[in-house]
This record gives sequence, C-alpha cells and structure tokens, in this order.
Amino acid sequence: MSTAVKDRKPLGLKIALWAFVSIWFVCAAFPFLWTLWGSFKVELDFFSIADWTNAIFGRNTADTYGRPFTGAGYDGAFVQEGFFGNAINTMIVCVCVVTISLTIGTLGGYALSRSGQGYVFWLLITALMFRALPQVALVSGYLPVFFDWNVWGYLPTAIIVLVAINQPFTLWMLHSFFESIPKDLDEAAKVDGCTQFQAFRHVIIPVMWPGVITTGLFSFLLAYNDFIVTSLILNEGNRTMVPQIAAFLGTTYTEGNVMFAVAAVVSATVPLFILVMFFQRQIVSGLTAGAVKG
Amino acid sequence: MSGVTLNNVIKRYGETQVIHGVDLQIEDGEFCVFVGPSGCGKSTLLRMVSGLEETTGGQIHIGDRDVTTEDPARRGVAMVFQTYALYPHMTVQENMGFGLKMNGYPKAEIDAKVAEATRILKLEEYLKRKPAALSGGQRQRVSIGRAIVRGPEVFLFDEPLSNLDAELRVEMRVEIARLHKEIGATMIYVTHDQVEAMTLADKIVVLRKGVIEQVGAPMDLYNDPDNKFVAGFIGSPAMNFLKGTVAKGGKVDVPGLQTSIKLPVTLPSEGTAVEVGLRPEHLVVDRNGSTHRVELSESLGGVSYNYLVSDSGEKIIVEERGVDRSAEGDVVGLKIDPESARLFNADTEMRIR
Repeated sequence: MSTAVKDRKPLGLKIALWAFVSIWFVCAAFPFLWTLWGSFKVELDFFSIADWTNAIFGRNTADTYGRPFTGAGYDGAFVQEGFFGNAINTMIVCVCVVTISLTIGTLGGYALSRSGQGYVFWLLITALMFRALPQVALVSGYLPVFFDWNVWGYLPTAIIVLVAINQPFTLWMLHSFFESIPKDLDEAAKVDGCTQFQAFRHVIIPVMWPGVITTGLFSFLLAYNDFIVTSLILNEGNRTMVPQIAAFLGTTYTEGNVMFAVAAVVSATVPLFILVMFFQRQIVSGLTAGAVKG
Repeated sequence: MSGVTLNNVIKRYGETQVIHGVDLQIEDGEFCVFVGPSGCGKSTLLRMVSGLEETTGGQIHIGDRDVTTEDPARRGVAMVFQTYALYPHMTVQENMGFGLKMNGYPKAEIDAKVAEATRILKLEEYLKRKPAALSGGQRQRVSIGRAIVRGPEVFLFDEPLSNLDAELRVEMRVEIARLHKEIGATMIYVTHDQVEAMTLADKIVVLRKGVIEQVGAPMDLYNDPDNKFVAGFIGSPAMNFLKGTVAKGGKVDVPGLQTSIKLPVTLPSEGTAVEVGLRPEHLVVDRNGSTHRVELSESLGGVSYNYLVSDSGEKIIVEERGVDRSAEGDVVGLKIDPESARLFNADTEMRIR
C-alpha cells in the first residue's frame, strides 16, 4: 500500500523531497567527512589560513611527506601518546556503566512498574529532578569527598559517578517499557509456577529485549561521550578518550597537538557508527515500543 | 480433582470493600459460572481463587486444603486470561510446556502432556509457531492448552471469549463445553455474557456489587429467580417489569396492561406496590386487542421482538414467531398467562412467591 501512495505523489513534490533529504544528509554528514579527510593532513593544511582548499588537496602535507596523505596524526596519537590506553579505559568505563545501570534499571523499573503504590510517581519525579541538575553541580559536590577519601583519579570512581548520573534516565526509560508489557503476562507466569523473579527472568525480560538494548545503548553513549565527569574526576594516567582528546587540543598553559586530537576524534567516532549500525533494528523497535503485544 | 469452597470471603482495597462476605460451595467436577454486570466483583473473586489477588478476610479451600494465603503457583489452579497472555517469545509448544518446565518435570513427560493437550485442542500444525502468527481463536486455544497441560485441580477462565468475534465465540464455547466433558475437572468461568453462562454452566452464580444475588442451575435461575435483579439479568431480551398494586380479591392491578391479574402466589397486604415480571417469550400478542401500540419491531428471521408501549407509557418487549406478525404502528392487545408471571416487591425487589 505504501508504494501505491508514494507513486501518486506529483513529480515536483518528489524532487523537493529528495532535494530536502540530500541537503539534510550533506549538512549532517559534512562535519564528520571533513574531519575524516582532514585527519590525514598536516595542521598547516587542515587549519590553513592562506587557502582553505589546502585542506582538500593537502599541499603542505605533500611538501612535508611527499604525498597528500599522512598517518602522522594517528601515529602521534596512538604510538607517541598511547591513545590506545585511553580507548581501553573508555571501554572499561562503558561496559561497567552499562552493566551496572541496566542491572539496577531493569530490576528497579520492573519493581516500580508492578508495584502500583502511590510513591512510585514521586520517586520517578525525584529521579528526574536529579537528572535535570547540571552534572557539574553534582560532580563539584563529590570532589572534596573524593579527595578526602583518596579515591579521586581512579576509573571505579568515575564509573560510580556516571552510574549515579545515568540511573534516573535508565530507570525512567525502562519503567515505561515495562509499563507497556501487560501484567497478564506476569500473572500467567505466576499461575504457571513462577516466583515473581522467575516471571521477570523467563517471561518479561525476553519480551523486553528491544527496550533493554535501546536503554543500554543510550547509557553507553552517555558514558562514552561524557566529558565533565571524566575530565574532573580522572587523573592524567587514567583518562578516557574524550578528556584525552581535550588534552591533545591543549589549553592556554600547555601546548597541544591539534592533529593528534583530530585523529583521535575520528578514531573515537568510528566505533559509534559501527555500534549504531549493528543495533539499528533493535533501536528502532525499541523506540517504537508498544510493539510488545500479549 | 476437587471442589472449591469459599467461606465469608472479603476483599478490601484500602477503605473500599468490593467483595462482601461471599459463601460458596463448588462441587468437584462442576462447571461454575460467575455472571454479573461490570464492576460486580466477579473477576476479583476469580482472581482471589487463583491467588493473584490477596484475600482480605475469610477462607478459600480447594479440596481439603486451605489455600487462602497460598501462592498462585501452589494452589493447583490454571488460568485462562481474556487477553490470552501467551508468552510472545515462545512457540506454542514452549508456551504450553512452560508451567511444567518451571516445576521441574522431565522433558519426556512434558512432551507427552503437550502432545495430549495438542490432540484435544487440534493444534498439531501450529506447535512450532509463535503466538504472533496465530489468529485470536487459535491463541485462545493455546492458552486453554497451557492450562490443560498442567493438569490442575481447578480451571479458571477470566472472560476467555470476550476478545473473539461472534462466530468464533460460539465455536469456542462449544469447545469449552466439550473440554469440560472430556476432562471433568472443576471449572470456574467468569463472563458477562449470559448466553455463555446459560449454555456452559452446571451452576450459575449471579453477583452484584460484591454480593451473591443467587446461586443455582441455569434453568432454575431462569424459572425461579429470587429477586428482580436476577430475573432481569438472566434471559435475553430481559424480562419486562410492570408496576402494579395489590388489589382486592387476591388480584394485582397492572396499569401497563390495563387489567388485573390473579397470580398463584401469597400476596402481601392490599395496596402494596409490586412489580410484575413477564418474559417476552411468555407474552402473546392479541391482534384484536387495543391496549398497546407497536413502536418498533426487530425481526431476526425466525423470531421478532416487538417493542410495545402501553397507554401509561410503560414499554414491553414481546417475542413473536410464525408467519403472521404484527408490524410497527399496529395497535394490539396482550394475552398473559398468570402462571408465567413473576411478582416482586417494589421496594425490596425480592420475589413474592
């Protein structure tokens, strides 16, 4: 039926639609493509003041290295500065944050959705309020305590803080996913001989997969992209990718290497693309939930 | 196999009481139907038997066991839900075997029992399908199969046919009746559809506002209702109720019929307001009379229901069969057989026998 409707659209409208989609696509993709292209150039080309086409044709890169492309940025970031270690730190943080917040989130969201008590609403509203606070406000409150306890600078500390910031959101999201699963399913399972937890594990969670994956992906992205918490809490040796990229860029006091940062940015973005493409079906079915029908 | 006994069962949600001390004895192997208008507490009562709803007061026994505070899993009951509540991620076979699997039965035994239920319900070709690939009737069959497989002492049905279309509903109704004959287990069935109640039940329990109005065999409730509510609820179209007054000489004045009728009952004192209940099928249209006007006529083929209005403005539904039927706009009379009329006290709505 959808094809029949599409066919009836006038040609002008079709052209307009395609033009709009193309423009949107170029706008969306351009910054990334530009960065990807530029990451194989030297700084003089990519940030050329004299002639912006240098960034495309790489004249200075060719002068320095003999060809218009160079892996110098990547070499510097990974070999010289050990960016690979930062990537591993990011992986550790992400896996831990996702695992912990999904565990608490599924159990908590399920309990809240099935409890039927009046305080559930207020609990969720409170959670939302903490999520709405600027993260800096939370982190600055933690810092003196962390210094006091001598736990500042380590990955587990950052993981705990990220989970704390992330949890209200996962709880909200999973709660609404659980709400969309009919309670009859729990009840059927209970009559069939399950305890509440067995009903959760054998019946509800399998139905919930799209929701769990979507929520997990969002927590992953939050942990992956976080800058404020990781840059304030991790010491130089334990940095994850994002604060390390910021460090490459340098500050007013320290000189950085911009091309290391550009190469690192590209390296940090690629896994996200792969991830989203891999899970795209689950994400779509998760976002259009309610697809769970008894 | 065993019966179910409810002793002064009470359900309260906070301050609101929804079940007011229900006493009920359901015999072993009996098909018991709870009927009543929506909000009468029939589903709540069923869920209390299943254990999905806590019992605030009183006792529930299944066989000799007091199950009042028992978990649903340990009560020996199986439930069929209105929404089927099939596990969407499991095949038909896994759905039916899930209960046994959770209770740690060996795989061979589960397979045997699933095969047996499949045979009874004729589901052989769907075993490997997921619920999403089944029609409504098939899904409900699977959900009944899931109940059979567990071999429960008591089957509980919570409006199992409400989500099906009319044709399937008739088919499944017959199927459930056949199932009860074949298995012979105690079954409790909740419905608001009185056709289901009349055709399936050994015993009907009519509930209103959390109180049992009457318990009895279908035809007993139809012929001998205890009160106006039961009389009006059982039977379709519903019984006509006409206002009347007890008059001299053991007669009842009925303005709606423009006559007095003599009923074979012990009448209360003269002047008492009463209601006369007359079933549409017990009234006969008198083409020579001139007391009522046919306002509307619904012809269903073999039978017509004519909506008559008396001069006093009261409405009466009359059933007509045969070739010669009255049409809209006709002015007719009514013949009444006093034996078939039921008399109720207008205030208490209780039956006067």
